[in-house]
Amino acid sequence: MFDYGLTSGASMESDTQRIAFGLRQGDVAVLEALVEQYQYRLVRYLIYLFGRRDGVDDLVQETWLRVLERGSSYDGHSRFEPWLFRIARNLAIDAGRKRQTLSLDSDQDDRDAQPAPVSNQPSPFTLAARTEDAARLARSLQTLDAAHREVLLLRFQEDLSLQEISAIVGAPVSTVASRIYKGLATLRPQFDGEQHEQ
Amino acid sequence: MNSNNHESFQRIIDESLAGGIPAEMDQSLRHHLETCVACQEYLGASNRVIAGLGGFSFEVDPTLNARVFTALRAQQPQAAQPGRPRWVLATLAALALTMGGSFADLQFGGMIASVFDLQRTLVRQGVLAFWIAPSLLVLLLFPLLLLSSKAGTRRQERNL
Repeated sequence: MFDYGLTSGASMESDTQRIAFGLRQGDVAVLEALVEQYQYRLVRYLIYLFGRRDGVDDLVQETWLRVLERGSSYDGHSRFEPWLFRIARNLAIDAGRKRQTLSLDSDQDDRDAQPAPVSNQPSPFTLAARTEDAARLARSLQTLDAAHREVLLLRFQEDLSLQEISAIVGAPVSTVASRIYKGLATLRPQFDGEQHEQ
Repeated sequence: MNSNNHESFQRIIDESLAGGIPAEMDQSLRHHLETCVACQEYLGASNRVIAGLGGFSFEVDPTLNARVFTALRAQQPQAAQPGRPRWVLATLAALALTMGGSFADLQFGGMIASVFDLQRTLVRQGVLAFWIAPSLLVLLLFPLLLLSSKAGTRRQERNL
């Protein structure tokens, strides 16, 4: 089994070329290795998009089927995960439109973005919080709108560049950056005025 | 220190966290942070947010991978060979056109020459140039493309 781990430079290029080659061949063994490697991150991305857990597993399955179907369009010249997230995002938007539960319209003025409604059930963030800081962020994350939550995850957990995020969300780099600033500004008050370790 | 100055440095902190800043600006920010408690706190709170985002661990249904694998295997035959029937059809069409051109020349070449008052060889040359040769070219092109694609695949496999 290939190691598709993230590396840098020529080695990364070689890994992505292998993935592209496997996808072009419709090689299910390659796809299964990708599922093993990226499943958790895909699930986490979709939870950040939806702000809830239900429906995520179906979308995960649909995403991988779409990867198999459209595998030949991945050229291997860039990282795999932005391409994967872009597919998942498009499917999530379609599903969200049907259920009228997800709005990630990139044309929407970010100043007008409304916080998501808070349900009485514990949010997936509350259930998944494993540290004290995460627990403090959970409620604010739930109320933050999906477009801002999404860029925070992509930048600080997936470690994607602004350009890669811009390609995923279909918005200019400046919009992505301003969403990151606003996301941080919304969550920062949880820790304002505290002593901390640098 | 006035609040405008803080705001501009806090903006630089945001930019630095979001995507990096030029070395010169970074140097100036570090310099400012050495003495500015408000901006230190701002940076500290931002870093706590970023660290906090790493403190979530979502449960993944242990049967999800197996379900995905089953769906992928069921889907594979449709996805794996999308273009093959088109290749076969195009090659068959080119073969039919080549044979049809040869047949037309043999059966009706003389008749066409007499109707239009042309030399027989001229008609033959016309049919050859505008009918048989192009269809023969297409007929040969597809197998050649197939062979070169297989050679490319083998080369790529050797490189893996």
